Amino acid sequence: MDGAEIVRQLGWTWQSSLPEQDHKPWRARPGTMILGAVLFLGAVYLLPMLTLIGWAFSDPKGGITLAQATRLLTEGAYHTAFVTTFRTAIITTLVCALLGYPLAFLMATASPRARTLLMAGVIIPFWTSVLARSLAWIILLGKRGIINEWLLASGLVSAPLPFLFNSLGVQIGMVHVLLPFMVLPIWAVLMRLDQALPSAARSLGASPARAFIQVVLPLSLPGLVAGCVLVFMLAIGFYITPALLGGDRDITIASLIEMVVRDLLDWPFAAMLSLSLMVSVGTVFAFGALLIGVERLTGAEGRT
Amino acid sequence: MHPKGWQIGMGWGRIGLWVFSSAVIIFLIAPILVVMIVSFNDTTLFELPPVRWSLRWYGTLLQSREWREAFWLSLWVAAAVTALALLLGVPAGYALARGQFFGRRLLEFVLVSPMVVPVIVLALGLYALFARLGLIGRPAGLLMAHAVLALPIVIVIVGAAFRRVDAGIELAARACGASFLRAFWSVSLPSVRPALISAGAFAFLTSFDEVVLALFLGGPGATTLPKRIWEAIKFELDPSLTAVSTLLVGLTLAALLVVELGRANASRETHKES
Repeated sequence: MDGAEIVRQLGWTWQSSLPEQDHKPWRARPGTMILGAVLFLGAVYLLPMLTLIGWAFSDPKGGITLAQATRLLTEGAYHTAFVTTFRTAIITTLVCALLGYPLAFLMATASPRARTLLMAGVIIPFWTSVLARSLAWIILLGKRGIINEWLLASGLVSAPLPFLFNSLGVQIGMVHVLLPFMVLPIWAVLMRLDQALPSAARSLGASPARAFIQVVLPLSLPGLVAGCVLVFMLAIGFYITPALLGGDRDITIASLIEMVVRDLLDWPFAAMLSLSLMVSVGTVFAFGALLIGVERLTGAEGRT
Repeated sequence: MHPKGWQIGMGWGRIGLWVFSSAVIIFLIAPILVVMIVSFNDTTLFELPPVRWSLRWYGTLLQSREWREAFWLSLWVAAAVTALALLLGVPAGYALARGQFFGRRLLEFVLVSPMVVPVIVLALGLYALFARLGLIGRPAGLLMAHAVLALPIVIVIVGAAFRRVDAGIELAARACGASFLRAFWSVSLPSVRPALISAGAFAFLTSFDEVVLALFLGGPGATTLPKRIWEAIKFELDPSLTAVSTLLVGLTLAALLVVELGRANASRETHKES
């Protein structure tokens, strides 16, 4: 402690002994260390994204056109994909919030040992391959899957239940993939919450339920908002789960993009669809940032 | 036992909360466990519990050249992605945590934004770029594409760690005559070692498990493990898939263990010093 204090003093002395124009040399350099990442992402991320946006508005002769945008806005088939995408994302977000909040609350209030166990139950699936998990759902819920075999053997049903390759399958798979993105931000906010506040409410005569609803819940709202925004943003762009667990009628914008490129080779329209997806994600993000600030949305909370 | 002031005791509410949360955890974990158990089946059916246990599907996997090649490709791409993401991301995280320069907030936003851009959109943009550069179906293309996803993770984790470390220790090193790079290498970097380990492990997993970019940019020339799995799920659904998935889960557990050990080591050292 003392040693640290001494070197810090030393540091300040050294700093104040520097000539005026070289006032903050240790700050001048850190900035330049960002260059590598900026150049790399500029070339391999920003450039292709901007090119894509350009395509959405360019016609074959090299001019500017709104033809793709008109097509997107007027043709009914595309509206269906948008409705499917947003309906799926809204349901996923709501179910994740309902399942995730109580779990996050328990994690924040449990003993350290129980917390570690619960945390492992969230983190392990979080980092496990989405493909492995989709395969798991196919094995469990497929027509000849484990659960249907059990149900048939026990005589509860006479024909296999259609869990998969419909919107239910997509919903189950999406909630499974995105639930940790809801739990972790809520948990992070609850962990930092000043325990004295709910205790004070209790000692002033509030019932546990009232202390929770009037004190803990409002204070944890930023975490809930961050979780919802994160889940919603990821849900509208999700490709893998709908493609593996959905049916022919569960066409989302993401799968539509893939189809337009693969089957129609219609790059300008695929670019327009991509742009609409990015605008949707950006709108949700801006909305969240407005509610709780950019810092909380992009923060490292719970990620490490 | 230090019950928090806002715990609601061990009443019915608390019991209900435990039952509910346990059910959610089972929902999260059970599918993964099921795949692992089923992978030890001796039949072509997905039976639970297996009627006869065997390592048959692991044997099939080991003997298949396709699976082996896909595994090695994924492994070395992921290793290269980890190296590249750390090389670019650690200095960037440091710059964002310590630097005071114009447009820092905007840059930070742009650098971490690949985390929320739909991967299919990124795949489309990169396909167009790589097609022009002749990088489709080349591991080098995959490497760069995966690095776009891994880099923000490294920047966020390492940046947060640098923010938690007192800049005074770097200042002290500089005051004692260390050059800027020397102070960065011998003082700043060791002070965030657990974060470097997690960032590296998560960058590796991000690339090793990535599907969408691999599908778009891999072409017939570069089939990574996830791309091979995707094709197998779509077209054959053969039981060796459960064995591959079990290996993937094992790899995830190993990576998380490395992260955990790194963190435990660091906290032990802090305790020793204080």
